[in-house]
Amino acid sequence: MGYVLLGTIFNVPNRWLDAIIRLVIIVILVTVNTLALTYIERKVIARIQARLGPTRTGPAGLLQPVADALKLLTKEDLRPRLADRWAFELAPFLVFVPVFLAFIALPFAHDWGIRFLDLGLFYIIAVLAVNIVGWLMAGWSSDNKYALLGGVRAVAQMISYEIPLVVAVLCVTMVTGTLDLRAIIESQNAWPLILYQPFPAFLFIIAMLAELNRQPFDIPVAESEVVGGVTIEYSGIRWSFFQLAEYSALFVLSLLFSALFLGGYAWPGALHAFDLGWLPAWIPQLILTFIKTSVIIIAMMWFRGTFPRLRIDQLMSLAWKVLIPLAFVQLFADGWVLVYRPFGWGLILGVISAVLLGIMAWALGTRFQQLSQRPAREERVEYVRQLMAGRSS
Amino acid sequence: MSEMELEEREFETVTMDINMGPQHPSTHGVFRMILAVDGELVVDVEPVIGYMHRGGEKLSENLDYRQGIGIQDRTDYLGNFNCEHCYVMAAEKLAGITPPERAEYIRVICAELNRVASHLMFMGAYGTDVGLFGTSFTYGFREREQIQRFFEELTGERIMYNYFRVGGVAWEVQNGFEEKCRRLVRKVREGIKDIDGLLTKNEVFIARTRDVGVITPEKAIAYGMSGPMLRATGVPWDLRKNEPYSIYDRFEFDVPVGTNGDCYDRYLVRLEEMYQSLRIVEQALDQMPKSGPIMPEKMPRMLRIPPSECYMRTENPRGEYGIYLISKGGNHPYRLKMRSPSFCNLMALKEMLIGEYVADAVIILGSMDIVLCEVDR
Amino acid sequence: MIGVLKSLKTTLSVALRPPVTVQYPEVHRPVPERERAFPLLLWDAETVEPFCTGCQACERACPVDCMTVTMRDNPKYKTGESKRRKIVDTFWIDYGRCMRCNICVEVCNFDAIAMNNTWSGHELSAYDREELVMDLDELLAKSKAGEVTRWVAPS
Repeated sequence: MGYVLLGTIFNVPNRWLDAIIRLVIIVILVTVNTLALTYIERKVIARIQARLGPTRTGPAGLLQPVADALKLLTKEDLRPRLADRWAFELAPFLVFVPVFLAFIALPFAHDWGIRFLDLGLFYIIAVLAVNIVGWLMAGWSSDNKYALLGGVRAVAQMISYEIPLVVAVLCVTMVTGTLDLRAIIESQNAWPLILYQPFPAFLFIIAMLAELNRQPFDIPVAESEVVGGVTIEYSGIRWSFFQLAEYSALFVLSLLFSALFLGGYAWPGALHAFDLGWLPAWIPQLILTFIKTSVIIIAMMWFRGTFPRLRIDQLMSLAWKVLIPLAFVQLFADGWVLVYRPFGWGLILGVISAVLLGIMAWALGTRFQQLSQRPAREERVEYVRQLMAGRSS
Repeated sequence: MSEMELEEREFETVTMDINMGPQHPSTHGVFRMILAVDGELVVDVEPVIGYMHRGGEKLSENLDYRQGIGIQDRTDYLGNFNCEHCYVMAAEKLAGITPPERAEYIRVICAELNRVASHLMFMGAYGTDVGLFGTSFTYGFREREQIQRFFEELTGERIMYNYFRVGGVAWEVQNGFEEKCRRLVRKVREGIKDIDGLLTKNEVFIARTRDVGVITPEKAIAYGMSGPMLRATGVPWDLRKNEPYSIYDRFEFDVPVGTNGDCYDRYLVRLEEMYQSLRIVEQALDQMPKSGPIMPEKMPRMLRIPPSECYMRTENPRGEYGIYLISKGGNHPYRLKMRSPSFCNLMALKEMLIGEYVADAVIILGSMDIVLCEVDR
Repeated sequence: MIGVLKSLKTTLSVALRPPVTVQYPEVHRPVPERERAFPLLLWDAETVEPFCTGCQACERACPVDCMTVTMRDNPKYKTGESKRRKIVDTFWIDYGRCMRCNICVEVCNFDAIAMNNTWSGHELSAYDREELVMDLDELLAKSKAGEVTRWVAPS
């Protein structure tokens, strides 16, 4: 799949054919990944809920995602008559294609990747931010006030949580000094970065949950409790694009987390494959990547089954009042330590980060109620009373 | 237009009507709420009920005092034994029958276990309302299943028990009743810890339910609320303590009372009530006579009640369930009025909901723990 | 923060325990002896006729009027084989109306009707509501085959 494999097996001289083969590999990877993740999610959540997951379609329910895919493919493709045609039909693509593009820069092993970019990290974060536009298009173009509400909220949430995500990534970049994902991973050959920077790791996890619209931040997709979600007018294969995007983004961001903070394929020391002559280097590297990504993905599913949903104003308060200030403090602290490089700067980085993590834990544990932005109940009731009086007079 | 004119022009806002229709994902029965919403604030709410009306009171007029117990089961399908208990006690009061001791103890054990089962259902449904993906639902139902299996061994049915009779209970308990019951109490106590651990201290849950749907004690009494809703506001009113019926004055138990009147307090009150009910069951098992009759000796085949009327009330899991029974002689009631707690609690919905956010509407409705069959009868 | 960690620990501990699901069509949980499914008539193997005499006590006691019973003279009484003067002629129970309240079993003077306490009493789905109206042969079938025992309530 990487240079080496393609070089020895295919030896494709034509650049266009080479590119097409790589894109096909991404398509297969994305599809298999989504099918596997839908199945695993249902099984993990079922176990958390003391029940079995899908067991009947195929042996142990393994064909369940295939059944789901078939069902979605055969559904009628509806479009509301008053919906903006082009925006409506292009929105799912705009949600899905950026995630597809993000797969290009991911390193799975030292030689296994579609294309290794020098600015890989920057490219992934930038491209993933494009799917926010897709959500807004989907919400706006469905001729449905509930979809509009859901879309606007989704966008507000995703934009707010881009900032902690970017700051966490910036901290990693500053410490390792490079944006190249392979270099970041290989610099963690001895110690994973999470030991130096636990707070950005935590920020990354929370921002990841918010970007994916998963519990506890799934107001946009669970609006169907009271109001419809953004995907309310989509059916069949168009709706499944949103699902594909969510699960592929889950995979991408989990892989990114394991690459940035847990050492990717390199820690503990797989870069030289334990110096065994007969074991090719990419086997332990792939296994490590797989294990770390799986752990993060299953942790995300575990969170899904455990956390209730936050209200939109609590969600925004969390981002703007707690995460972003502390994230900037972390950024400045990192910058200071890295410029002056006092003795034992690695330990100092870790200690500062752990202290910030403690402050955030304290804030969330004790001051969570005050985070919420709404006025007191008396004021709200008074406002309503005046509104109704003004209306009826 | 110039800058100044643009600023001075007032935005005309229109309230949007949202219909939480008879079918909606938070399963509380067929209940319709028409919310008028201004931005995020709820401005007006109009509840529409009546989708489950089956004419229970009218049907009871044609059924005698044994046939009518089935109707009571189906009125509050989560707190069946408590409704049966009220009906049976009302008939006994008018007919002047005293049930034997053993029957009273069996009745109390059944009623309290039913209360635990009802609150477990509340826990399950409430977690789903708050946004958990269904985890609390299965935990609650896992425990409820054990209680239902126990009742299946006792009566034969899992939910529509039809076990109480005027004068006592229908038949003797099963073999090994006492040890099975004790084992059940132990297991359910362990199982409630799962729900407790999942929800009680969860900061996200507290953030969603604290200071939401607050109602003051004076307003609560004015609206005629009862049960955990009233106790969560701070009023220590529990019919089992304040007006003891049956043999509740022989047991030692505490009545949990909240402070704030918000949804979190209602959750805590119901959680603690479960533990207290299990305590009552254990005491009843200790005090129950080991053998004895379960119906009085001289029970007529067809019970006829002399012309009289009475109002009997009991503490349902939802509040005060009352039966006003008018008999004009004969073997069936002339008029049977059921005062259901969910109906009276629902009257305060407008009070609690106006001024809250739309996202909290479901949470407040869930915390009231209404059963639509009871509201509509 | 500690609260959410406790929630996470709770869900993890539940995830590591075996699930409580009973795989229904393959595994039938044993039902207790007192199980109350739909009513059946009992067959007297000694005199080769139903216990039921068609006295209509259950029909009168039923809260939902789901039974229709008629009686006729018992030919076996004349030949001396049986002590029952009258025997049931036709008996219909509408399972769609029955609410399984057990009152018919309690009022029967001849112990002729019993609640089906096996799984077959619960697996009665039909495509048409008319298929749920059971006539005399269908009601006697299980007892003739010897599959049903009557649970007698200890008085």
